[in-house]
Amino acid sequence: MLYIALKMLMADRAKYTGLLLGIAFTAFLVTFAAAYFSGFMTRGFALIAENGAADVWVMDAAVESVEQTINMPDSALDRIRGVEGVRYAVPLALGTVDARFPNGRFQTFQVIGVDDATLAGAPVLKDGGVPTVLRAPDAAIIDDGGTSGKLLTPVLKTDQWPHDGAHLEAAIRELAVGDELLANDQRIKVVGRSETLPRFPPRPLIYTTFANAARILPQERHLLTFVLATAEPGLSPNDLAQRIHARTGLRARASEDFKTDTVRWYLVNSEDVGDMAAMLILAMSVGFGVTGVLLYIFTYENLKQYAVLNAMGATPRVLLSMIFAQTGICALTGTGLGLGACVLVGEITAKAGYPFRMMWFTPLLGTVGVLIVSLTAAAISARPVLKLQPAVVFAGR
Amino acid sequence: MSTDANHEIAVRCQGVTKTYGTGVAQVAALRGIDLDVRQGELLMLVGPSGCGKTTLISIIAAILDKDGGQCKVLGHDLEQMSQNDRVRFRGKSIGFVFQVFNLLPSLTALENVAIPLLLNGVPRGRAEERVRSALDSVGLGERMNAYPAQLSGGQQQRVAIARALVHNPKLIVCDEPTSNLDHKTGQDMMDILRGVAQSPDRALIIVTHDPRILGFADRIAYMDDGRITDIIAGKHRGQLQ
Repeated sequence: MLYIALKMLMADRAKYTGLLLGIAFTAFLVTFAAAYFSGFMTRGFALIAENGAADVWVMDAAVESVEQTINMPDSALDRIRGVEGVRYAVPLALGTVDARFPNGRFQTFQVIGVDDATLAGAPVLKDGGVPTVLRAPDAAIIDDGGTSGKLLTPVLKTDQWPHDGAHLEAAIRELAVGDELLANDQRIKVVGRSETLPRFPPRPLIYTTFANAARILPQERHLLTFVLATAEPGLSPNDLAQRIHARTGLRARASEDFKTDTVRWYLVNSEDVGDMAAMLILAMSVGFGVTGVLLYIFTYENLKQYAVLNAMGATPRVLLSMIFAQTGICALTGTGLGLGACVLVGEITAKAGYPFRMMWFTPLLGTVGVLIVSLTAAAISARPVLKLQPAVVFAGR
Repeated sequence: MSTDANHEIAVRCQGVTKTYGTGVAQVAALRGIDLDVRQGELLMLVGPSGCGKTTLISIIAAILDKDGGQCKVLGHDLEQMSQNDRVRFRGKSIGFVFQVFNLLPSLTALENVAIPLLLNGVPRGRAEERVRSALDSVGLGERMNAYPAQLSGGQQQRVAIARALVHNPKLIVCDEPTSNLDHKTGQDMMDILRGVAQSPDRALIIVTHDPRILGFADRIAYMDDGRITDIIAGKHRGQLQ
């Protein structure tokens, strides 16, 4: 009877195609939305991801993410270095500064101050250069951090730092090596541009040394935001994190755990994420609604055929197995098409710089979502089939 | 109104009642039907629209519940059977021929006819052999791979007859089998039903409006207003006796 169920399903090509497209669209929408959301979250912990050498992130006990931080006393670095099992530990400063461009315009930057000695955490330059250029006085590497068109300077020298006021409307070009900015009235010299992971929310970045960061960031008593520790061989990051926490009282998290903490922090605290999630849920609901209604209509339109089968001896169990077989085939085929489309479109989207990231759970989410909706629709549409009086097969009923 | 024949009884209805609706909208479709149908007999139920013919065969065919009375079909008291047993009983023992054919449009003639066999657990290969034979017997051996839409009304009804016969049921119920067919095709259809469907151990009940086919009946039961008003011997009565 399964063969008959499938023939019933595929007989009306237009309806079958519509059903598959509806399900494929839903699978596409759910997977794409989940992958897009994952992309945003991945960008949220970009700072952690780009410091792959750090096994453990140490921070103030109240810090829960890289997005909202408070600094620790400088002595924390030495205390951490003194913990048994720490191979090495480097400081990282994180802060925000408004920098002025040579034409008078300004932009808020995130300043990332890396260890002066090792330059651990400094990015590779766009042109392939090495970050040792940061050792020059006032040096900074700038990065658009997922933004576009925000790092600009006047084309003409005469429009740069003019004595007659701002030249806001002067012709502009992208900032390049050798250009200068003013941050907190301190000179910053661009020694390179990098292309690190885009941020969420997007924001331009200034990479500089810890000492230089201390110079350009607004005055604070403490500057040390994170200490990045690496474990001795044979010691797991989690064990080291527990040990650092026990000895110093500071919050210490293995890199992977800190990524998870950051995602959780965004989910709980960021209104942007809430708004995005609401929109995605709405989009998914529409997709689910379409799938459910299409499947229901398909079964409902075949009620008479089920009645005929019932009259001829098909038990409710046989009818149910037919309906669920039809639904299962539609759901799996449609999901396959939807996921395929999602991969193709996602590839294009990611190449265009949008935050699309297909993680292991995103196609699973799409598949499970579609299966749940399809099976629910099948269960709902099975009800009239099971309640059917087979007498309708006779004319006039 | 029972018969007095010596033949084994295929269907025995006693005091069968059925009403539709409730309250002021209540309509009595059957008002105490007594009817016996014997094995080997072709009985026609005749009467005006709304007199209860279709309701009666629906009850006899175990696809509609009666409200009162007794109905024994092929020795089974339908009331004593569970819903699933009743479905299985239908699948094994009853063949259906419908006014609007009710062939599944997505299946070929061969696949349509195979349905009762598949529902009875016959393997596909063996079912196909029996289907070919059934379609041959109604003269459609050459069109078994055609879809219903590719067949004429008469051909579709022949497929429906083959479907009703293929699993060798002991009771065949037909609801207005000729009303959608022209006179000639209707006569052909009745020839097939008499020639192929009727056998000594099988009863046929045909609901009809069509006076042109009454000559094929062994007995004709006239119905009006939910009651059987008369039962007369048909042209084939002699054959039965």
